[in-house]
Amino acid sequence: MSQYGFYFDKEKCVGCRACEVACQVWNDAVQTVKWRNVSCLARGTYPELTGVNASLACMHCAESPCKKACPRTAISKNEDTGAVTVDQSRCVGCMLCLWACPFGAPQLGAKGRMEKCTFCEERPVGKIKRACEEICPQQAIVSGRIEDLILHSKQVAAERLSWDKRIEVILGHEEE
Amino acid sequence: MAEQTTRDVINEIRGTKTVPGVCMICPWHCPTENFVKNDRIEYVRGNEYAANKTTRCVKGISSIHSSRDADRLLYPMKRNSSGVHERISWDDALTQIAERLKKIKDEYGPESLCSLFHLDSNEMFTHQLLGHLYGSPNLSGHGAACDQDRRLAAIATFAHPLPVKDYANSRFVMLWGADPFGPNEALHENRELLEAMKKGCRLVVVDPNRSRTAEKAHIWLPIKPGTDGALALAIAYRIVETESYDKAFCDEWVHGLDEFSQHLLSNGYSPEWAAGITGISKETIIAVADEFASTKPALMDGLKGLVNYTTGLDALRTVFALNVITGNVDGPGNLILKEMSPLGFPLEIPEEAATIPKKPPIAHAMGYPMAPDLPTQLLPKAVLEGDPYPVKALFFHVCNPAMSDPNTRLFEKMMGAVELSVTVDIYMSETAQLSEFVLPEASTYERAEVRESMWAGPQTVMAQPAIAPLGESRPYYEIMKGLAEKMGYGEYFQWDSWEDWARTCTAYLPVSYEELKEKGVWEGELRYHKYNTDGVPTSTGKFEIYSTMFEELGYHPLPVFSEEHRVKPDADYPFQLVNCKMQYHCGTHTQNNPYLMAIAGENWVELNSKDARRLGIADGDMVEMASPHASARITARISEAVQPGVVRVPHGHGFGRRFGSIAKGKGTHVNPLFETRVNPISAGISFNECKVSIRKA
Repeated sequence: MSQYGFYFDKEKCVGCRACEVACQVWNDAVQTVKWRNVSCLARGTYPELTGVNASLACMHCAESPCKKACPRTAISKNEDTGAVTVDQSRCVGCMLCLWACPFGAPQLGAKGRMEKCTFCEERPVGKIKRACEEICPQQAIVSGRIEDLILHSKQVAAERLSWDKRIEVILGHEEE
Repeated sequence: MAEQTTRDVINEIRGTKTVPGVCMICPWHCPTENFVKNDRIEYVRGNEYAANKTTRCVKGISSIHSSRDADRLLYPMKRNSSGVHERISWDDALTQIAERLKKIKDEYGPESLCSLFHLDSNEMFTHQLLGHLYGSPNLSGHGAACDQDRRLAAIATFAHPLPVKDYANSRFVMLWGADPFGPNEALHENRELLEAMKKGCRLVVVDPNRSRTAEKAHIWLPIKPGTDGALALAIAYRIVETESYDKAFCDEWVHGLDEFSQHLLSNGYSPEWAAGITGISKETIIAVADEFASTKPALMDGLKGLVNYTTGLDALRTVFALNVITGNVDGPGNLILKEMSPLGFPLEIPEEAATIPKKPPIAHAMGYPMAPDLPTQLLPKAVLEGDPYPVKALFFHVCNPAMSDPNTRLFEKMMGAVELSVTVDIYMSETAQLSEFVLPEASTYERAEVRESMWAGPQTVMAQPAIAPLGESRPYYEIMKGLAEKMGYGEYFQWDSWEDWARTCTAYLPVSYEELKEKGVWEGELRYHKYNTDGVPTSTGKFEIYSTMFEELGYHPLPVFSEEHRVKPDADYPFQLVNCKMQYHCGTHTQNNPYLMAIAGENWVELNSKDARRLGIADGDMVEMASPHASARITARISEAVQPGVVRVPHGHGFGRRFGSIAKGKGTHVNPLFETRVNPISAGISFNECKVSIRKA
């Protein structure tokens, strides 16, 4: 079994929410609440400010707490992609999955059933990007096999070492 | 067998067909792909063959709604004597407009027609009908409310109206009053800048407020509003003083380095001087100047945050001069003097059929000989007082100055007095509501278009109709064709299908029509340092930091810092009002969009927590914001991103006095608070020269 997931680059995200709308537009027929959400956080007082923008959907966890919590066994994990999805015909909207999820990913939809990111299940993995990833103007979202994403992440870090002139670099902590 | 494209994969999943298009939300016009099934747009994304690739901004992806919006204009309308718009047939509307145009031309001359656009979709047809044939010299974009100063500064310096950015290859980028990561500019540029930063490119942002772009900056300079010119001059002073400019480049390609240097030094535009004005320390100014001068390739650019002040034109002239003296022009990683595709006009109109206007363009007659676009905010004077000459007919093509210009009441008065007013739009904008004739245009999903993209090299976009026009709406070229027939110019507007004129436009492109149609874009070679082979089309043949154009017309050839025309806060009006754009909206067309209205359904006034505490205002309170001219009730947001003493309002909201089931009654229109203040040289609107008071309502 393969496990797919999302790589998210907070340095690239500008909080524009195009990913949220891309998800809504592509999943038009089945989505009634947002499956992907962008949070924009800021700290400090003018002009000493820091902040982060984060676009989060379902993590499609390897050990999915939502799947374990579901009393109706409505949640399953795709054998080929590891995508975690809700079977709408079995779900009764009890929301135990939402309680169990550390990321608040499953949402109670307008139809009274839990809804969540399906990893764009109609889009064949490896051939085409997920909708959020395809639309993201900054390409802050990358989907792929976890092994490949880890490799990608290492390459991004190595890239930095190639131009940073400082002798010692703590990655991710360059700027105050 | 040809390799399966990602287009093919989507079409396979959705049973759709791909029709290339172009985004019509903002003037950057990103190339797109529309996925269509049974005359319905199922999905949209960016054009994978274009620089933006498959990406869209939040407004662009949301704009799929305008292909289905039942609140769009669906048939032509005419205002009756009691001020109500009534349905009218296309034939009646065009016949009446043509008759009135003829009468106005006979009595007052063709110059008394002004035609304005915002999104220049198919605007070539306006030029051919209302320009070449009818003879009006007053066809203009919305520049006066937008990039007027930038364009004039670029023309004076580079003899190019619209430099674009090659972020991908840059090592140092400094942006002045520009927020590309917020409300967006060209999408591919955003991606390229962030990718360049991953490779070590430095970003410096000058903005009183912490914009989306300032969030990402290595150095954010929280400058006092309207003082950017002083900072730019001080950076130039440091570079001149330390002789860290590019001497070889200046010798060969720059006109006026000695005069420029002398001017900076003799006026004492030093970092120390600027520190007192800008609030940025002398040490910081020197550090930024030194880093900029020693890092190549670099680029500096500015936009509305500068243009919105009466100091903006000279600030931008200085910013462009900084690019020039450091040799950062038209090379990899620099501002690029974009080359256009070899596109032709869609129609062939013989010279003898053209009408040559007898009066000068109205901007010149108004006393602004260098104004790149028509100063729309001065039109009321022409209509109401006949000064500098009478204007009797106004055309608005997807342009909404009733919302975007200052001094809304004066604009309304003008619209009541003008003899003929026609708005072509896909929505019932405020300007449409004030117009006598309202003509429904087919949306970008329902029409063709051949245009240049905003990529740095030559790139043609060919958008094609993906679905049938909604209601009785018509593509602009069909509206112009119908009007031309009624005006007696039908012989020049002959085609069976849009493809006939599209072939004429694209005849000189080195690509087959079929390939262009299939991909939707054609991309030429991005050539760098074009001045080496093509020269610089200024009168000196060099990049001018001492402007001979300004000098000839009696203006100061060098940029100065003067606050003579500024409006600064005082005891009665203690806040500077900064007019900004919202990340989630642009113009009229996003205001009835359910996706975007769910994200941000109204605008607000943002003020710093220190000011809010003092005034007893809490987040979400309704406040009364007053300028010396008008007041407005608006929701307050408390924000640490805004400078104390400054309040920030996203403009363009408060849409729909009568329009739109989603837009109706939402937001606050703040433009009545702005007086008609313009830059004395460019005539660009200085929105931020506005002081306000705030109190809890």
